[in-house]
Amino acid sequence: MTQPIAWLDGAHWPYLALILFAFLPTEIWRWLAVLFARRIDPDSPALEWVRAVATALLAGVVAKLVFSPPGALALLPLWLRLAALAAGLAIVIYDRRKVMYAVLGGEVVLIGGGWWWLG
Amino acid sequence: MLAGMRDALALPAWIVCLSLVGVGSLARDVGYPVGVAVLSTVLVWAGPSQVLFFGSIAAGAAWSAIAFAIGFASLRFLPMTVTLLPLLRRPGQGFFAQALMAHYMAVTVWTESLRRLPAILPHQRVSYYLGFANACILTSSLGTFAGYYLVSALPAPLAAGLLCLTPIFFLSSLVAGIRHGSDAAAVALGFCLAPLCERFIGGGFDLIISGVLGGSLAFGVRHLAARRA
Repeated sequence: MTQPIAWLDGAHWPYLALILFAFLPTEIWRWLAVLFARRIDPDSPALEWVRAVATALLAGVVAKLVFSPPGALALLPLWLRLAALAAGLAIVIYDRRKVMYAVLGGEVVLIGGGWWWLG
Repeated sequence: MLAGMRDALALPAWIVCLSLVGVGSLARDVGYPVGVAVLSTVLVWAGPSQVLFFGSIAAGAAWSAIAFAIGFASLRFLPMTVTLLPLLRRPGQGFFAQALMAHYMAVTVWTESLRRLPAILPHQRVSYYLGFANACILTSSLGTFAGYYLVSALPAPLAAGLLCLTPIFFLSSLVAGIRHGSDAAAVALGFCLAPLCERFIGGGFDLIISGVLGGSLAFGVRHLAARRA
């Protein structure tokens, strides 16, 4: 768990952290786009690299959540968590438009397996 | 405005809503108040940023690394906003009006707007867009709120299911959005490098290192291949 910055800690810390470390780093790009809209080429190689890094980052968070999971998810074994991901993956590879079915399929595997494992 | 809301509530708003239920559960899990969870949906309005935020706190990442990772993951809003704004711009809009419209920019709003706005009369687009986007934010805030309380009220397998919504949804939508081999490589490298970096580097900067490494490798391979062809 990441601890609050000591001299800013207090009851409002979680709100402050959200604004400083999540809201601003996200919103800044929307504002910059408004300011420089006419001078940016959306298909430039630099932005393509950014897209690749962002994709890898997100896949990394997914891996982290599955390999060192939060709370109740940690009660289930790693193979079951991976099986749930794989079920969703299989559905979305079969038909790319079926993201909702992929989520449902993965959840069925996880919750069904979890009930059997913990029960 | 109403037409936009109606179109959003027909399906897209509920999909975003579901994707942010898990964020509420993650926020609860790191012990942050429900207000922060819901505000993250209203203010940040970007599932990946929110997941990075709460997920990284759970993983013990350094604050600077969290901000850096979120900044990187959100850079995609720059080209997205640049491509959508021309559809919405009207004479007389100042910076703040445009910045307000840009705030709603997120994957679902972007893809749906690019598809629907061209068919709408230019002077009706802004109100359609605001109706659509606000309906999405409203349902998503409710979803985040519900996820926050449900995760501790439900029996363990269902709570685990809520917490797993986020990884399953994000991996599926990443894979659904793959356009060429290098996208697939970025997903695979990011997924494999993150646990490795966590074990061998750690220290709160492992995620950002694995992301920059995996993304650059995927990008580099594509460009080398393109040059050879």
